[in-house]
Amino acid sequence: MESNVVLQIHNVSFAYERALVLKNISFSIRQGEFVALIGPNGSGKTTLLKIILGTLIPREGEIRLDGKPVLSYPPKERAKKMSYVSQQLSAGFPLTVQELVSLGRYPHEGRFSQAAGDTQAVEEALRLTDSLPFRERKFTALSGGEKQKVLIARALAQTSYLLLLDEPTVHLDLYFQLQILNSLTRLCSEGRSTVVAVLHDLNLVSLFADKVLLLKSGEPIAFGKVEEVMNERSMRDAFGVEVAVSRDSQSGAVYYLPRRPQS
Amino acid sequence: MRRIFWSWLILFFFFSLSLFLALSTGPVRISLFALSPRDQAILLHLRLPRALSSFFVGGGLALSGAVFQGLFRNPLADSYLLGISSGASLGAAAALVLGFTSPLAIFTGVSFFSFLGSLLALFLVFYFGSRDGYFSVFRLLLSGLGVGLFFSSFVAVLMIMAEEELKALIFFFMGGFSSASWETTWVAVTLVPVCVWIAFYYARELNVLLLGEETALSSGVNTKRVQAIYAVLAAFLTSISVSVAGLIGFVGLIVPHMVRMVFGADHRILLPVTFLLGGTFLILCDTLAKVVLAPSELPVGVVTSLFGVPVFLYLLKKERGEYGL
Repeated sequence: MESNVVLQIHNVSFAYERALVLKNISFSIRQGEFVALIGPNGSGKTTLLKIILGTLIPREGEIRLDGKPVLSYPPKERAKKMSYVSQQLSAGFPLTVQELVSLGRYPHEGRFSQAAGDTQAVEEALRLTDSLPFRERKFTALSGGEKQKVLIARALAQTSYLLLLDEPTVHLDLYFQLQILNSLTRLCSEGRSTVVAVLHDLNLVSLFADKVLLLKSGEPIAFGKVEEVMNERSMRDAFGVEVAVSRDSQSGAVYYLPRRPQS
Repeated sequence: MRRIFWSWLILFFFFSLSLFLALSTGPVRISLFALSPRDQAILLHLRLPRALSSFFVGGGLALSGAVFQGLFRNPLADSYLLGISSGASLGAAAALVLGFTSPLAIFTGVSFFSFLGSLLALFLVFYFGSRDGYFSVFRLLLSGLGVGLFFSSFVAVLMIMAEEELKALIFFFMGGFSSASWETTWVAVTLVPVCVWIAFYYARELNVLLLGEETALSSGVNTKRVQAIYAVLAAFLTSISVSVAGLIGFVGLIVPHMVRMVFGADHRILLPVTFLLGGTFLILCDTLAKVVLAPSELPVGVVTSLFGVPVFLYLLKKERGEYGL
């Protein structure tokens, strides 16, 4: 069982200057799992993603990717194993969608050569994110939702098996929120991907995530299956919100309905 | 692919044409097809170095602008706004006034100290524009404005101090190629092509950097190294252009935008095309500067703006909102 652990986070703490942002975080993720990070604004979700990514260095603790410390990988080798979609939607200058998605092949392709696998990976990433219709358009001229799909496509084109996503659905409409997350969970169940995603919509978490890490003020409140972690009490503790939890009689899915604040 | 092929062909045609015009115009009438020994000397020692230095300075300026814009993901970034030109000017002025000489044979004293000045400016801009090893684009641009103003005022102090060399200094900063010789051209002819190659070599990394530093890191780009290489490269190109031709505006800021509007933002195409177009453009402008009011010469910077700005404004108006401004 130990062999298919993709990511191990061991006792990680992090501080920006003096303020401690993350405290003693430990969990591990197996291949094919979809893990959601949830928690109030400023609880350290994005910071945790950046530490996993290796762009921020933890004050204590260690991240292991495939059994080796994440910081021990050369940049390109790390990129072959792990890709990242940030919250940022800008691309500076007007690359076309196809050009932008092809950038995901950077760790794989030679400096002046492209392999057949590169084109294929780009095509599949465009298809999975429904970006084929606007592949020739300039990224800068797209709507927010289209941009988000393209940035996810770029990360998919990187064909790494660990995907880190920072709020990947905020700019998408209901249909594409479900489509994108469905594509990702399908990749996970096929064993081709493992996903760690920061999500804010509790119902999307419930529908798609295998496991959840709930953070509050940089401390892990709970880690485990959705129903174990997300209940009326934990939501009240973490977010200060009253939530009604109910089960859909038809699909069996668990729903979270926030109540209006009293005052 | 077809479109790119034809675009290159057209660019090379204009490059050859501009070179031909530059070599065949001047105060002395010369036919390139029947050269007397005197004509040969004029061609070889006056017109050729002048044409080559305007080509490499123009290309280098345009390339440095494209690099700074890509590096900072900002359409306003260029060596003027970032204060790098001011650093180069201070170095050059100091060498002129105080008579510094270069320790390396390939550089003139002016070009060597101009490079040192640009590096000093670059270092200060990054030092004041970053916090804890991270920098934001706007912080850097503001820091560049500050450093640039500070260095420019030093240049003014030097000018006041240097009574005898004042005229030489003013002439130097007016810009232009009328005093171009092999001595001043040599460094540009040999080292600018190396810079073009290095810039082209890392173009893929610069493309990935357009998505932001974190995304680039996650894609496997060694961001700190690529940023350092490009920053020093652009500073070097700036210093070469300042030491050879003084201060010439417009080319570095505008030529990259014109190329992006036509060829797109992929640096593997953008950087070489920008270099070739910038160089061709400056040869043409310098030729016009020679002939329009002959026998007196216009400052080349005036010509670049007079002819370049209308084209640029036309492209800007025609652009259909895809440029992301």
